[in-house]
Amino acid sequence: MPVLHAAIKQIKVRSTVEEKILLRDIAFDLKPNNIYIIIGKNGSGKTTLLKALTGLLDQRFYNIEGEIFFEDENLLTTNKEKLLEIRNDKIKYVFQDPINSFDNLKTFDYYFKKLSKNNSQTETLLDYFLLPPSNKLYKMYPFEVSGGMAQRISLTLALSAEPELIILDEPTSGIDVGIANLFLLKLKEFAASGNHSVLLVTQDLDFAKRVSNKIARLSNEKLSEFKPVDEFFHEESSTQPSPKGRL
Amino acid sequence: MDILLKAENICYSVDEKISRRNKEEKHILKDISFSVIKGSILGISGESGSGKTTLAKIITGILIPTSGKIIFNDSNSDNSRTNKIQILFQNNGEILNPFRIIEDIIIEALLIRDKKINIEIEKKKNLSSVNFPEHLWKRRGFELSGGEMQRAALARIIAVKPELLILDEPFSAQDVESQQNLLNLFQDINKNFGITMICIVHNLKLIRKLADEMLIMYKGEIVERGKTKELFTEPRHPYTKFLLKAENYDLSYEEFIKMKLQ
Repeated sequence: MPVLHAAIKQIKVRSTVEEKILLRDIAFDLKPNNIYIIIGKNGSGKTTLLKALTGLLDQRFYNIEGEIFFEDENLLTTNKEKLLEIRNDKIKYVFQDPINSFDNLKTFDYYFKKLSKNNSQTETLLDYFLLPPSNKLYKMYPFEVSGGMAQRISLTLALSAEPELIILDEPTSGIDVGIANLFLLKLKEFAASGNHSVLLVTQDLDFAKRVSNKIARLSNEKLSEFKPVDEFFHEESSTQPSPKGRL
Repeated sequence: MDILLKAENICYSVDEKISRRNKEEKHILKDISFSVIKGSILGISGESGSGKTTLAKIITGILIPTSGKIIFNDSNSDNSRTNKIQILFQNNGEILNPFRIIEDIIIEALLIRDKKINIEIEKKKNLSSVNFPEHLWKRRGFELSGGEMQRAALARIIAVKPELLILDEPFSAQDVESQQNLLNLFQDINKNFGITMICIVHNLKLIRKLADEMLIMYKGEIVERGKTKELFTEPRHPYTKFLLKAENYDLSYEEFIKMKLQ
């Protein structure tokens, strides 16, 4: 059984002036023990799609037609309490710019106490990502850490919650390549265990090739079929025009 | 070959508060020396916290070094660098006034350089040189995408015809095609305008295609330097080897920790 089943007819955004279709005819299943990657140009709708999957699009401005099933719940129609329960326990989202997803008036203690399921495992993760131990980190405020550190804390938080699905938006942007290697290793370990799955978007094609099982491209409002890495890039190189320019 | 800029024994340190009463001196840059040949592109790479941006700020005169000196065009004076060294920061959205029309910003910059120029011709030349499309000329900053803002900021910089342009992480958050286009643009600017460049990047694969020479920085020091091709094919320092392996996502956890502990 898939971890997540999405069948989205279209996602529209409304402004005072117009209504525009951002994405259409998107259908896929996320199966356990896989890492799925979506690539696409800036502005193609990757972040919009990720947010749609987790009910994070503001319904005052976005209209989503279709269904997104996580276990037996349609995330588009389920009640707020159930949605919150799923987001707290089962699906974790790591934002592209995580430092801005934390409340600067709350220490990290607030977040870890809420989400961490196993203190010992959390300490191990903090150590793995070269973060301060909990007795030091939990007293810190978000404004006291760098962007790269916030990214590591965000992933540690997501893993500490022991979810079934982790969704990440550009996880390697803004972090050093050494740390990006740690992310890759840990995400592979997570996906290989239990009933877990990972979905992420990235511009980093080298990362995509090394971490993923299945890749799809988002372009012209549509998502291509998820394909195995080698097959995807082989097809891309034979059908896409080579990039402009001399380099 | 003429040397445009020379950094001699640059040190930079700050006082870091470690408790309510105690401070500790933190060394951000330690004895940095290098020179930049006129017309060339120098790449500087290293992890966060290695001092790259601090070095860039010292070169532009934004920060004053604790010791050492920057010699630009054979002059040690800060005044010699005004307008001749320009920097394009990572957060381009904060450089331009979001409420001003782009065309007006460019015209103003052109007139700073020379009040007697033919404004229409120079404006067209300037905006075309960075592939900034004409239908955007009358837009305001807040109406532009990140990539468009970056080109507008670059146009303004080129308008004052600097001799040295410093690019601080210009490729971050760009898709592959945009990175390629930017790389080509920087090459064109270097070739067509004769502007010397220093490019600071995390991404070694991109800088490999652009820079003539490289500096690798680690914890405030230059650990390796040389011609780009040689540095990539025969790296000598363990940290350079570590970076190259990390770029290919070939690092094991043990290798990572071993480097961090050294």
